[in-house]
Amino acid sequence: MRRYLAVLAAGFTVIVSACGGGTTTAAGCTIGVSWNNYQEERWAKWDEPAIKAAITAGQAKYISNDAKSSAETQASNVDNLISQGAKVVIILAQDGTAIKPAVAKSIQNGVPVIAYDRLIEDPKALYITFDNVLVGKLEAEAVFKAKPKGNYAIIKGNKADANADFLRSGMEQVIGAAVKSGDIKIVGETYTDNWDPAKAQTNMEQILTANQNKVDAVLSENDGMAGGVIAALTAQGLAGKVPVSGQDGDKAALNRVALGTQTVDVWKDARLLGKTAGEAALQLCNNSDPSKVKSTAIFKTPGGNSLSSILLTPNPITQANLKEVLDAGWITKADLCQGVPAGKVSACG
Amino acid sequence: MGAPVPNEANAEGGSARSLLTAVRSALTPAASVLRSLEIDTRMLGMLAALIVIWVAFNVLSGGTFLSARNLWNLSVQSASIAIMATGMVLIIVSRNIDLSVGSMLGFLGYTMAMFQAVWVPQSLGLGLEQPYTWVVTVVIGIVLGAAIGGLQGFVVAYGGVPSFIVTLGGLLVWRGLLFRYQQGQTIAPLDRTFQMLGGGTVGTNVGALGEWPSWILGAVLCLGIVGTLIASRRRKRRYGFPVRPMWAELLVGAVTCGVVLGTVWVANSYPLPPAVAEQYAQEHGIPTPPGGLFIPTGVAFPVVIMLVVTLVVTFLATRRRFGRYVYAIGGNPDAAALAGINVRRTIMLTFALMGSLAAVSAAVQTARLNAAVTSLGVQNELDVISAAVIGGTSFAGGIGTVPGAILGAVVMQSLRSGMVLLLVDSPTQDIVVGIVLVAAVGLDAVFRRRVS
Repeated sequence: MRRYLAVLAAGFTVIVSACGGGTTTAAGCTIGVSWNNYQEERWAKWDEPAIKAAITAGQAKYISNDAKSSAETQASNVDNLISQGAKVVIILAQDGTAIKPAVAKSIQNGVPVIAYDRLIEDPKALYITFDNVLVGKLEAEAVFKAKPKGNYAIIKGNKADANADFLRSGMEQVIGAAVKSGDIKIVGETYTDNWDPAKAQTNMEQILTANQNKVDAVLSENDGMAGGVIAALTAQGLAGKVPVSGQDGDKAALNRVALGTQTVDVWKDARLLGKTAGEAALQLCNNSDPSKVKSTAIFKTPGGNSLSSILLTPNPITQANLKEVLDAGWITKADLCQGVPAGKVSACG
Repeated sequence: MGAPVPNEANAEGGSARSLLTAVRSALTPAASVLRSLEIDTRMLGMLAALIVIWVAFNVLSGGTFLSARNLWNLSVQSASIAIMATGMVLIIVSRNIDLSVGSMLGFLGYTMAMFQAVWVPQSLGLGLEQPYTWVVTVVIGIVLGAAIGGLQGFVVAYGGVPSFIVTLGGLLVWRGLLFRYQQGQTIAPLDRTFQMLGGGTVGTNVGALGEWPSWILGAVLCLGIVGTLIASRRRKRRYGFPVRPMWAELLVGAVTCGVVLGTVWVANSYPLPPAVAEQYAQEHGIPTPPGGLFIPTGVAFPVVIMLVVTLVVTFLATRRRFGRYVYAIGGNPDAAALAGINVRRTIMLTFALMGSLAAVSAAVQTARLNAAVTSLGVQNELDVISAAVIGGTSFAGGIGTVPGAILGAVVMQSLRSGMVLLLVDSPTQDIVVGIVLVAAVGLDAVFRRRVS
């Protein structure tokens, strides 16, 4: 049985590598991935297959383990990957600070590290992510285009998550000048514990109450919270009249974009992130210097480090370009167009 | 506990005691009035605390807190915690605890959302928006809730495993199952009729009773209160128990009726939002007068559900054998068993009841958000237990009332939503709520010692 599987796998590898000509190969190199929490849908469904495909296409070997949301477990998991023979380690950090000693040790032992999606403050790591500041900027741009003046509410994510502030700083690039000139007035701005949609809903209700419904636009940092915000707006008959932003490409959120209650959903194709990380890992197998990896740039971190990074460009999805998520196979037409009247949105027909 | 107190503290304690004595002697006439009213003084203290909180927030928020709109919001926001707190009272009274309610709520909410958004329309191919979807969904949720709650109760009662451990396991298991099957996906949108249960608005349908049904509800409740007072007075007479003086009886009736009708009045002075009212007027061909249309919203459905649950659980707790047994077990489990009470069965039933109430709250919460999310119900167990405890339920067992727990839930939610109104950040909110929780129970313990 095992031999049969091995033959099958070898055959599969040949087919895949035959198709993916032109990319770096690193035959025999083992690449280890340390997941922080494999339970979440995204990693298993989109990221892992993409990383795996890129690695097997380069004739390297994929191994992985899961830290189950524990920073301590993740530190020992990284050591385990190295003792299993990993030559490159990709880490989706549970805690970007707590993992630092394990990362430093790994790099000292000649095993380069890729900080996947989340920042690790080590100057020798390679940071691959979607540009979060840019995500915030794109969210604000779409909303600002719809409402260049008026009262804004800002629903931010978890205070302990650096991304909440990255996103907010991107928003500031767009609305900062208008806030200063008085065209935009920020009438409510709150962090939301654990990005919880229900808390976002309550916060939005209170902001609407405190301002007698005089809220003209809402900048929500992600899709889940946008759902809570829109539920609060619906109760006041304001859904669809007040522009709302979001990100992640959640099915429910893309459906809201089609329905017109959410203005923009900034979509980060996890498959692109996975593919980029896999290909970067192959290059690191051959040369462990992160700055030699193709298309890297220097990223200045909030902690004052400069590290090599690849920042991917996210894609803002509005009613005008909904077709892109359909074409990419990210969502089915039935899910995207549920409840959308015929002829209203071109992507739904 | 019994350690010798240092001298300074002793002096301080002495002055505090003399102050207390002074207060008590000043309050003696008031106390005799309270005695003849036969009102729970703890309940009165809580009401006073609630009024202080409300007035303080109202001043700080420049009059927004006590607006009809904010009170209406507050009632809806409190409902789901209050619903579960009624069941938690019985659990804590019988000397147990249920830490799994938040996880159960998440799991049940997910199942109910899947049923109406995926299984019925897609797997069974019956399509969306069937007229029966919401009823079947709620019934399935309640039955499933009773089953998993009952399962935990079975392990507690018949397996002899402490409830703290069993429900701590439940907290992990139900949340884990939820993560396993939901995989981070948001289940939305939900059935349009089902959404009404959350008090939200779909088009021009509002999840509230409207003007006249709200007044009728208020009138029926008032009649019920008067009827109960008369019946209890008769019963006491018949068995030769002392009764309250007539003036006290009238005062109690008038005040409780006043609170009920006042609540209805507040709910009716919250008009439909202008955007909704306009659309409603267009659809019904009502001309819009200058200055906008005033359509009263009325009592929200989550609040109606909470009232029904309160009545049912209070009835079970005070008028049925089951409730009597629960309090007897809490007072003294050994005596209860010796008296022939089936302790195990009763305990199991309290957990089953808790499970079905978690399902009711899950329906309210998912309907309100119009989605089931993985974080649904996270940390709700803490809010529910806090509500029951602030409402006077004692961990020593045997003591606790359902109306007290409702009041506790309103106190908790008043603090939270008032602080959001003032844009206080969430860590500070947690600190305040934590201090209030400990202070409330601490003060209560001090006064109870003084009184007894």
